[in-house]
Amino acid sequence: MCSDTSSLVVDRLCDKAKEQSMAVACFYVDFAAREEQSPANMLGSLLKQLVGGLKSIPDEINQTFQDHKKVIGGRGLRVPEIVKMLQAVTSSQPTFICVDALDECAEGNRLEVLGSLRQIIESSPNTRIFLTGRAHIGGEIERHLGRRVAVLSIKPNGDDIVGYVRMRLSRDTSLDAMDSGLEDQIIKSITKNIPET
Amino acid sequence: MSRLFTNNVNSFNVSNHYSVADDRSEMLAWFSTLEPRIRHQDIRTRRAENVGEWLLQTGEFQRWCDGAQPEGSDCAILFCCGNPAVGRTYFK
Repeated sequence: MCSDTSSLVVDRLCDKAKEQSMAVACFYVDFAAREEQSPANMLGSLLKQLVGGLKSIPDEINQTFQDHKKVIGGRGLRVPEIVKMLQAVTSSQPTFICVDALDECAEGNRLEVLGSLRQIIESSPNTRIFLTGRAHIGGEIERHLGRRVAVLSIKPNGDDIVGYVRMRLSRDTSLDAMDSGLEDQIIKSITKNIPET
Repeated sequence: MSRLFTNNVNSFNVSNHYSVADDRSEMLAWFSTLEPRIRHQDIRTRRAENVGEWLLQTGEFQRWCDGAQPEGSDCAILFCCGNPAVGRTYFK
């Protein structure tokens, strides 16, 4: 549900980006991919999306790349170098960075990512950050980003649940007996149990 | 020689002799091996229509998304909290 919300937000931002000059980058943290989702790889993938959308690559970034290429076999990027390049791309246009399921990131990595995001918003005030995760990391986000955070609680409402059930039923190929009457009956019996919000 | 160098650094029209497409894709791959856009496409195609639309209508979201108010810094970060399986708990 959180990932659905994140993808909805990213889509809305991408629509907006067609009408005005702004950049959007997203990342979906996945507990199962902890090994490969290191802070450097996560932040690097944000950089990849932002630089990928630029018509011309800033000199500073080109220079860093050329310097690295001189080293035999190339050299992996470190977080401070990535942050510097992120600061360079976010300073030139309004940028929206979305990170889904931040709580699925190991604590040490999470704090490193938050610290890096803080450096970016401090140097590029036109940057906005969207995060999702379990409620317990809210305080940590506020502390490590060093400013007030607007919080929204994601609770599915009745329409969300009806939409979800209809989508699941329409994609279930094993339901030979399904017709619109049965579908309505299923939805009626599920929605009567939804608590009022 | 040193003057020439200074001129180059200050110029906004320095041309990059190495900015070819190959170099660009090599650079992007060097940034990260991960492809979050592919994951995004995967999630959005599985997403039920209109689910979560209410969130886009909230004042919190709109202030975060559109807000460029003078007091702006307060709405730079939006945190949406919830259980990842919150939608599924209704169907158990």
